[in-house]
Amino acid sequence: NSLIGTPGDCQPCPCPGQTSCVQIAETGQVVCTNCPAGQTGMRCQRCEDGYYGDPLGLSGAAQPCVRCNCNGNVDFNAVGICDHVTGRCLKCLGHTEGDHCERCQQGFYGNALDQTVGQKSCSCSSAGTSGHVNECHPQTGNCHCLSHVTGRDCSYCEVGFFNLQPGIGCEICKCNPIGSSS
Amino acid sequence: PRPDVDALTPGTHLLFAQSGRIEHVPLGGYDMKKNDAKPVLHLPEKVIIGVAYDCVEKTVYWTEITSPSISKANIEGGEPTSVISSGLESPEGIAIDHLGRTMFWTDSAKDRIEVASLDGSNRRVLINTDLVNPRAIIADPSNGNLYWADWNRKAPKIETSYMDGSNRRVLVRDNLGLPNGLTYDPHSSQLCWADAGTHKMECMDPGRGSRSTVLERIQYPFGMTAFGKNIYYTDWQRDAVIAVDRYASRESDEFQPQKRTRLYGIATAYAQCPAGQNYCSGN
Repeated sequence: NSLIGTPGDCQPCPCPGQTSCVQIAETGQVVCTNCPAGQTGMRCQRCEDGYYGDPLGLSGAAQPCVRCNCNGNVDFNAVGICDHVTGRCLKCLGHTEGDHCERCQQGFYGNALDQTVGQKSCSCSSAGTSGHVNECHPQTGNCHCLSHVTGRDCSYCEVGFFNLQPGIGCEICKCNPIGSSS
Repeated sequence: PRPDVDALTPGTHLLFAQSGRIEHVPLGGYDMKKNDAKPVLHLPEKVIIGVAYDCVEKTVYWTEITSPSISKANIEGGEPTSVISSGLESPEGIAIDHLGRTMFWTDSAKDRIEVASLDGSNRRVLINTDLVNPRAIIADPSNGNLYWADWNRKAPKIETSYMDGSNRRVLVRDNLGLPNGLTYDPHSSQLCWADAGTHKMECMDPGRGSRSTVLERIQYPFGMTAFGKNIYYTDWQRDAVIAVDRYASRESDEFQPQKRTRLYGIATAYAQCPAGQNYCSGN
């Protein structure tokens, strides 16, 4: 306040790089108005939308504001895609999940880091799986098959087996070796 | 921490969100008085997305995604007040029915459109089906219509319904990309949108369905607002508010705030409320 007429009426702005600030009349609160790129907040202490970090090191070592890293599994047209401090992705797309959208959601498989592949649904055969129809290997998509059941989704019997029954699996073929062609 | 409001002078203004603040530019006729632009509201810890203006109480309303909420402040110097702070995830567009004294908003994470009285009471879900990325929302209280845009990558669309959510219809679904901005001019009955995918600004008469292109090769529109012959939109690539003469189909001016960072929603703060009444205004 320069109207009081004492030395030290004008204080330097408590903002990074001597950038500008305003003092709010009613509260006396000082707000930085020209934070460095990517930074915002009362003292430029937080990262802007689409960025994360801890530029002033308020909770540990200072981390400059960097773009949200969501492995390409967020849409650039969205807002609020990651937590401004931790960088945890908040709007993962295409059935991905994880702090950086780096893995498939439960019930899906594929390569979360390769958008050309995309995530496919496990869709395990309800008859042939020993687990849940939504449970499969996150990369290969292999479901947990009952005994002598095969196929990625456990939908058919192994060679030499037949009669897939839910909860049981497949029975061995009891063909007479003399009369069989295979 | 309590932020602050700087009172605005009488007249018509543009209000727009930049991270941590709502800025304003006075309009002289249709011209942006850029030298008189200044922040009207400092909200340094917030990421403000949508902005709407209630011409009756001269109050600005905004959505905010940091601690998802809807707040308001009188632009003649009132304190920011939270209106809704629960049950929100990613509130984006906001629209005011100044006659019925209600507000409408989209939530892109809950995938729904809600309505409430301006004080936050009487809240209810209006639309919660077939929404993927709802963003812009506009009310036309004189005719009782609601318009919104959904930038769903797989099937972007612009829809309408009555203000109670009934009679929902898709207005536009062809040749859309990322329709981020939407505005309605009651005088010309034109619904206009700005598309960051097709890079076009287009208008249509929602009653007749005729569609026309206002401007092509625009960069990255986000919010937009109509005032008379002009449309003003915010752009994520240019970090600016751009004025477009709707009838001349040309850009007429640009305002780039000193701080280079994304601009979000924009609204016209009318000097006076547009004339009109609706069935709900007596409630």
